Amino acid sequence: MKELMTDHISQQFNNELEDLRQHFLTMGGVVEKQVSGAVEALLNSDSTLAEDVIEEDSTVNQLDGLIDEECTRILAKRQPAASDLRLILSLSKSVSELERMGDEAKKIASLTLSLIEEGESPRGYVEIDRIGVMVNRMIADALDAIARLDLKQAIRVAKKDRDVDLEYNTAIRSLVTYMMEDPRSISRVLNVIWVLRSLERIGDHARHLCQHLVYMVKGVDVRHIPPQEIKKELKKES
Amino acid sequence: MSETKTHSIDISAMQRDQQTLRIEDETKCLSVNNLHLYYGEKEALKGIDMIIPEKKVTAFIGPSGCGKSTLLRCFNRMNDLVDSCRITGEVNLNDQNIYAKGTDVAELRRRVGMVFQKPNPFPKSIYENVAYGLRIQGINKKRILDETVEWALRSAALWDEVKDRLHESALGMSGGQQQRLVIARTVAVKPEVLLLDEPASALDPISTLKIEELIHELKADFTIAIVTHNMQQAARVSDYTAFMYMGDLIEFGDTNTLFTNPAKQQTEDYITGRYG
Repeated sequence: MKELMTDHISQQFNNELEDLRQHFLTMGGVVEKQVSGAVEALLNSDSTLAEDVIEEDSTVNQLDGLIDEECTRILAKRQPAASDLRLILSLSKSVSELERMGDEAKKIASLTLSLIEEGESPRGYVEIDRIGVMVNRMIADALDAIARLDLKQAIRVAKKDRDVDLEYNTAIRSLVTYMMEDPRSISRVLNVIWVLRSLERIGDHARHLCQHLVYMVKGVDVRHIPPQEIKKELKKES
Repeated sequence: MSETKTHSIDISAMQRDQQTLRIEDETKCLSVNNLHLYYGEKEALKGIDMIIPEKKVTAFIGPSGCGKSTLLRCFNRMNDLVDSCRITGEVNLNDQNIYAKGTDVAELRRRVGMVFQKPNPFPKSIYENVAYGLRIQGINKKRILDETVEWALRSAALWDEVKDRLHESALGMSGGQQQRLVIARTVAVKPEVLLLDEPASALDPISTLKIEELIHELKADFTIAIVTHNMQQAARVSDYTAFMYMGDLIEFGDTNTLFTNPAKQQTEDYITGRYG
């Protein structure tokens, strides 16, 4: 991302963009840690960690506000054009995605606390573990793709979202069967389902990050194009 | 753009104003073919090929000395006044080469009017400034003059401000008003093309906005070409933008695309402020 932010005649503008980049990546790091922490807290029944994750959400919210303000200020003062404009717009949207990921992580942590309280069999935890690993990988790779402006990696990550969706559907099917067999487990299994749902949403947000990156670099809006067709769309435009 | 209707909301109607313009769909007003211009030994324009679409605003941007004003001045042969200037190639106004032998240059300059950076009203009354071009053409009938002066001043969004002092000196007006008066004087002779060379760079921001608004209104009747150093102004007022550098036309395309996703790296560097 660095190469997009340097070489302006205005050194001040370079600095403003560099700050923006730093803050965005910092926020990405916090959210990444939040999501992995939430899953870990659940799998290890670690209520202290779950509370940390909930606490961390206020940091994410503050960063969200800060970065948004920076974007607004740059728009007002610099009237950026072309790649600069696209950079600001897509970062501003990406920040909202990160903020929502943080919210989902917080949700998982709250559900973890109720699940720990009920303290019964870890039904569905294998699925949560598996999807959690996939989603964490997606976040890390998406942020890495943004930091390096790596379109190939972004498209690869976006495509991964489908695997998460498939895993999610399989997990839901088996949990529904389980609830039908044992209605006493419904309230508990529902909590597990909410967790899976949040993870699945986080995967969607990670995909959106990658789609915003494509717009940032290429100026092509691929938000409503299936990831496997992004490459084709880019070829068509160029 | 394809027809899109969702829940009886006509989305394509919402997109009407934002549609990407295509130069291929335009009627050409001026066309430039392989235009070279030399000031003595120095080649200031290095083979320009482009068209200026009819009843649209075309902006020229580029660093100082890139040739944009020179090109603009070619459109009504203002460069004829420069001694060492030599031109090859063609500029066609409605398919007539304006550099062909026997071209009536005075008539050409009536058809292609020009407004400069500094407002240059004549030291006469407001009314006489606007009527000047008509009088030169031999029109002296008061009724026709009155009508045309009012029409021209209205076209330049100046009528309401000056209608009660038409016979006062034009030099008593503000800079912004003077510039609009000069535009009124230019449109009074009903040209086909308006060339604006930095029309707002000597004006304050509010007067600048008035000029920009005026440009937007004038394009209903005139083909407009504008040179400006203010890139945001080019982005705001124009339909098409041409980026020039060192006498070459680097990129020419619809303004929306050029300012959000330019095709050439040089254009990108210039409009994002990366030029050394």
